Amino acid sequence: MGKAKVKVNAADMIGSKKMSPVQIGALLALIATFVALPFFIGNTTIVLVCRIFILGVYGMSYDILRGYTGIINLGQASFFGSGVYIGVLALRREADMLHFIVALLGATVFCLLVGFLYSKIVLLTGGVVPGAMITLALAEIVRNLAERWYTVTGGQDGLSLRASSLAINFTSASIRLGGRDKLIGLYLFTFVFLIVMTLVLRQFVMSPTGRVLMAIRENDQRAKFLGYNTDHYKTIAFLVSAVASGLAGVFFSIVVRFAGTDYLSIQTTLDALLMTLVGGTGTLYGAIIGSGLVTYLQNLLLNLAREYSDFRLLRFPMIFIGSIYVAIVMFMPSGIMGGVYKLQAMRKLKKSQANK
Amino acid sequence: MQKPHSLLKVEDVVSYIGPYTILHGASVDIKQGEAVVILGRNGAGKTTLLKTIVGLVNTRSGSITFDGKSIVGMPTYDIIKEGIALVPEDYGTFNMLTVEENLRLAMLKEDGESKDRLDYVLDLFPDLKIAYKRLSKTLSGGQRQMLSIGRSLVNENKAILIDEPSKGLAPVVIERVALALQEIKKHTTVVLVEQNFALASAVGERYYIVSEGQTVANGQVEDLVKDKELQAAHLGI
Amino acid sequence: MGAILTLLINGLAQGALIFLMASGLSIILGMMGVINFAHGTLFLWGGYSYVWAYYVIWNRVAQARFPDAYAIGQWGGSVVRVDRIALPSGQALPFHLDLLIFLAALIIAVAIVFFIGMIFEKLFINKVYNNAPAQILVTLGLQVIFTDVARFFFGTEGIQIVPPNFLNGTTRLWGGTIVHYNIFVILVGLAVALIIHRIITKSRIGMVIRAGLQSPEHVKAIGINIRRYFTYIFAVGAGLAALGGALYMPFVGAVTSTAGMNNQILAFIVIVVGGLGSFLGSAFGSVFIGLMTVVISLFVPALSVVANVLVMALVLVFKPNGLFGMAVNN
Repeated sequence: MGKAKVKVNAADMIGSKKMSPVQIGALLALIATFVALPFFIGNTTIVLVCRIFILGVYGMSYDILRGYTGIINLGQASFFGSGVYIGVLALRREADMLHFIVALLGATVFCLLVGFLYSKIVLLTGGVVPGAMITLALAEIVRNLAERWYTVTGGQDGLSLRASSLAINFTSASIRLGGRDKLIGLYLFTFVFLIVMTLVLRQFVMSPTGRVLMAIRENDQRAKFLGYNTDHYKTIAFLVSAVASGLAGVFFSIVVRFAGTDYLSIQTTLDALLMTLVGGTGTLYGAIIGSGLVTYLQNLLLNLAREYSDFRLLRFPMIFIGSIYVAIVMFMPSGIMGGVYKLQAMRKLKKSQANK
Repeated sequence: MQKPHSLLKVEDVVSYIGPYTILHGASVDIKQGEAVVILGRNGAGKTTLLKTIVGLVNTRSGSITFDGKSIVGMPTYDIIKEGIALVPEDYGTFNMLTVEENLRLAMLKEDGESKDRLDYVLDLFPDLKIAYKRLSKTLSGGQRQMLSIGRSLVNENKAILIDEPSKGLAPVVIERVALALQEIKKHTTVVLVEQNFALASAVGERYYIVSEGQTVANGQVEDLVKDKELQAAHLGI
Repeated sequence: MGAILTLLINGLAQGALIFLMASGLSIILGMMGVINFAHGTLFLWGGYSYVWAYYVIWNRVAQARFPDAYAIGQWGGSVVRVDRIALPSGQALPFHLDLLIFLAALIIAVAIVFFIGMIFEKLFINKVYNNAPAQILVTLGLQVIFTDVARFFFGTEGIQIVPPNFLNGTTRLWGGTIVHYNIFVILVGLAVALIIHRIITKSRIGMVIRAGLQSPEHVKAIGINIRRYFTYIFAVGAGLAALGGALYMPFVGAVTSTAGMNNQILAFIVIVVGGLGSFLGSAFGSVFIGLMTVVISLFVPALSVVANVLVMALVLVFKPNGLFGMAVNN
């Protein structure tokens, strides 16, 4: 308090202006780098990067809700986890493209229905706190049901796909390089998913609906006075977020080849929260950076735990992840992208002052 | 007319609530034993001035000294302990506490002198004696105002800041409040924020006018009573 | 008749346990405006601390009294490891020792968590007053951290714990079975409710609480440093959760790390049903939810959580001030 506040409006930052040639060049270089990347890394790392891509979408989907409407949904895992289950269930029958598409459609319908129910309840309760409390409880119900519905979900054992189930037609495509098969198909498949979803969600955020959502985030009351039915817009955001999470879940199922109740638990929701927090709430792309850092860190902890098995503290990754999470909420609430935007805005401010 | 000892001095204070700056340079100088009224239109910043003095609203710049000591940036409860009492707008009495509890909670010390002051309050406002054991949410608006004023008298205070005691009260009750304030100002320094000009002129000796977050005029109340032009300009009378 | 009696007592015991947790949550919410998503982990730490203290003291005493007592196993995690000790057949500790060990373990558990609560408030909660989203995120973070710390300390396996000998029995009455421990739990719940009620209505702290529930700002404005009270109120809420956790574990027969989150959700349901921020409301809400849980579990065990959450949703939507209309207006 007391300092001159630099107002950062994500709307101005997310591609509302035409990109400069330098920016376009940088973007193309970035995409080229990622296309070339699998030729230089091993399969373990390829799978890790695939996870980062998918969780990036999951993170962005969470940001649509948290960052663009201010609702704290502690039940986001219900959508992502259901997506994973639906993916595994469909691909268990036959691991081909048709079943994958069926899974995507199934997850979309399921998330629309459950998301609608969630959003209605959250909006009726009004307020961030009751909303968080009720979604936590709702998610707990979903997880509970999955645990008890053994015949379909496999209960606490979960469901797994056979290793050969990776063969969803072209995702199984691999290239022999340096004497080893590389999972190029899977890699490109998930990379394209990330790019498509980023474009779709970006389009959503920049659409008139997205603009209204941002107005709501800035000031709910004012948006209401301006004549917007804010609940209607929040429901749309909720549904978009739910479906994107569900789709990410289906993609995740082909990478991890397993569905378990952990994917429905509060930990999985916290993953999404953490990714958006690290990247910067309300910045959309931040979630991808967040996904990269968080997933890498989780993987690192896992490897360390394996390597230093005597150091038992490492077997409880939530202690470390949770600490980072709390530290970010308290000391870096605007995240990495938030920080970048703030710097840009400050530089602009200085420039404009210097010009005067 | 100038009395020698300056008790509460506010100089060029700028204060803000969240992103909004409310006071844009307010200055008042209140001498020991004075009764001063702060006048101004709705939303001019009168209440904020009182809240800024006791630290409920943050000060960005300027100085506030009380009894020779700077109190800017001190937490509210410590400022109160310096000997300032605030009678907030809308009473600020606690509904779920009895009249007795409201008064006792406000006592910073429970010694003989506090007991004497409590008796004095109950003599000043016999209503409170009658309702002593009742929850204050059962009181009428006027009684709550008396309780709120009474609460400010149970400690050994050097100054009492009173925020719109007439608000929402019936004329008969306002008269009783005015009588009480005239009694109180005999013993202590009073700063009164008031919209009701009759009450203000009955209690105040000196006045300040606040407009758009600034103190724009001050002088003797008796002069203001005659100066219809000034009244029209700032008070909308 | 007997079945109803059994049900009633089980339900009231369940209610008493939820109440211990919900009352602290409720006062913290009402007065400090803080929704504590870490309350479940405080409950869990109460449970673990109690079991740890109980075993450690009991083992010492048993080995001192009976030199031929022998270890039959161990439980614990990476920090705490405790023997399970069996007494030679036919031997038992006398009543007064059992009672003392039990009380000491309860006090230790509450003290540990009281201290954790103070640290939480000073280091974290303190920084996020008046910022509901940050409160939710920070306390939720603490919840997952400290739940995993508990697993690290005490192990990931469930730890068996039964009530002390003198409470570990049943009586048959009118064809129903009355579990002694449940009666004890009900009595503790009642006693705590009465003590809190007395503190709130009679003491100076109680006056500050009642005044603070209405307006913390006005409390400051009469010269009271209400923040200083916040630390203790949060710690007392934590202590109550710990007492609930400590008594809950023997009630269900084992400590498991999921108990924290499960009971936190129950407590959330209770404070919503009772009216956000109201102490009396949380007492009524606890009894209501306790009885309902037991009754539904009797018919369709799988649905008891679902039913509770459904009630919560209905109350939030149709009676946002709680079933008893007691919510503190903030």
